[in-house]
Amino acid sequence: MDNIGYVALTRQAGLLREMQAVANNIANASTTGFRREGVLFAEVIAALPVEGGNLSMADARVRYTDRAQGVLRETGNPLDLAIEGPGYFNVETPDGTALTRAGAFSLSAQSELVTMDGLRVLDDGGAPIFIPPDAATVSVAADGTISADNRPLARLGLVIPDDPAALTRRDGVMFNYDGPLAPIENPGLRQGFVEGSNVSAVSEITRMIEVQRSYELGQKLLDQEHERISGLTRTLGQRA
Amino acid sequence: MNALKIAATGMAAQQTRVEVISHNLANMNTTAYNARRAEFADLHYEQVARAGSISSSSGTELPTGVQLGMGVRTAAIAMNVMQGSLKETGGDLDLAIEGRGYIEVQLPSGASAYTRDGALKLSGEGQLVTSDGFPVIPDLTIPEDARAVTINADGEVYAYFADQPEPQLLGQISLATFVNDMGLEAIGGNMYRETPASGQPQIGAPAQDGRGTFRQGYLESSSVDAVREITELIEAQRGYELNAKVITAADQMLGATTQIR
Repeated sequence: MDNIGYVALTRQAGLLREMQAVANNIANASTTGFRREGVLFAEVIAALPVEGGNLSMADARVRYTDRAQGVLRETGNPLDLAIEGPGYFNVETPDGTALTRAGAFSLSAQSELVTMDGLRVLDDGGAPIFIPPDAATVSVAADGTISADNRPLARLGLVIPDDPAALTRRDGVMFNYDGPLAPIENPGLRQGFVEGSNVSAVSEITRMIEVQRSYELGQKLLDQEHERISGLTRTLGQRA
Repeated sequence: MNALKIAATGMAAQQTRVEVISHNLANMNTTAYNARRAEFADLHYEQVARAGSISSSSGTELPTGVQLGMGVRTAAIAMNVMQGSLKETGGDLDLAIEGRGYIEVQLPSGASAYTRDGALKLSGEGQLVTSDGFPVIPDLTIPEDARAVTINADGEVYAYFADQPEPQLLGQISLATFVNDMGLEAIGGNMYRETPASGQPQIGAPAQDGRGTFRQGYLESSSVDAVREITELIEAQRGYELNAKVITAADQMLGATTQIR
C-alpha cells in the first residue's frame, strides 16, 4: 500500500541531487576549466509479491560530465594556457597524477610550472617543467612546446583518457583517472588565454525550473496519496 | 539542502570577483599597477554512489556513479604580470622599467620592498626616494649643485655640473627580479615584498640575465583594461543573480516539502 509513497520518494531524492548538481554548476559558472556535470535518472525495477507484478522507480545514480569546449578568455599572461579541442593537462598531486583543463599556471619559487594550487604540471615524459628564472620571454606553441628565449625546453603532456566516462572529479577543477592515458595527436594550445567554464546559464536555469516544478509535482502526488488513504480509513471507520 | 549552501559559495565567489574588479578599476591610473584576476576552483565532491559499486542483483557495476559537487572557492587572486604602456612625463627622475624587474627600496623597518613605480623624487638631503619617501637601494645622493641628471638604460645616474663639461657618474640603480612575480606580496603604495612563493630576489645590473632596462622621462601606466573589467563586471553581476535565483528555487522546494502533512 505504501508503494506510491516509495516511488515518489525515490523521485524526490533524485531531484534534490539534481538540484545540487545544478547549484554546483551555477556556482562554478566562472571557474576556469570547469566542466558542467549532470545527473541522469535510471529506472529501478522492484519485484512485487503479486504474480508478474513489478514496480518501477526512478533513481538518480548516473552522472555525466559535459565535455563541450568552454569559451576562451584572453588574459595576456604568458603562463595562461587554454586547450582548444580535446585533451587534459597532466598534474602531479600528493596522491598520484590528476587531469585538468584549468590552465591558469604560474611559476613556483623553484621556477617550476605549477597550477593555482601549487601542483606541478608535467611534460610529455611525466617530469616537472623547469623554466629558467632569467628567461626574458616564455612562449608556448600550439603543440605544447615551451621555449624560453627561443630555446625549446620541454613539451607539455596533453593527454586524453581511454575511457572519458571513467573520469572522477576531485576538488581544484581536477579529475582522477586510473586507466591508461593516450597523448593527443594534434594538440591545440593557446598561450595567453584561459578556458572558461562550459556552464551555460540559460540551460542551467531552465533545468533548475524543471527540477523545482517536478519536485512540487511529486509533493502533490504524496499529498493526494495521503488524502486518499485518510479518506479510505475514514470511510471504512464509518461502515464499522 | 545542499543547494542553498552551494549557491552561497557561488555568491561569495562572484562577490570576490566584483571586489577584485573594483580594485582594478580604482587603480586604472596607478603607476605600474598590474591588473589582478580572481581564479576559482571547485570544492570537494560528495560521493553519493561510488563508481564501480554493484548496482543490481545480477552483479552489474555502476560505470560512473554519482558525485555531487559542493560549490566553489577562490583559488587565487592572480596578478597579471605584464608590461604596462609607457607614458611620457619628461621628468628627470621618472623612470619606466621596460621588461622584467623591480626597483629595491628600503622600508623604515629596514626591510626591503620592491616597486615598479619609478616616479622618483629627491629628499631634503638630496637622496633618491620613491613618491612615499622611501630611499632607493643602492643609496644615491644627487649633489645640490648638479645642473641636470641623466639616467641611462642601464640605470647609471650621471650628474652635470656647471663648471664641468663631462658628466659625473654618481652610481647605478639595480633591478631585482623574482622567479615567480605572482607570488609577491602586495603591501600597498605600489610596493611588493618577497615571500617563499616568489623566491629570493636576483639583484643586479639592468639588461643582464633577463632583467629589463630603464627609460628616463617615462612612467609605466597601469595595465588595467577598462573594457575587459566592465565586461567582467557584467558577468560577475549576472553570476551573482543566477546564484541568488538558485537560492530562491531551493527555498521554494523546501517550502513544498514542509507543506506535506
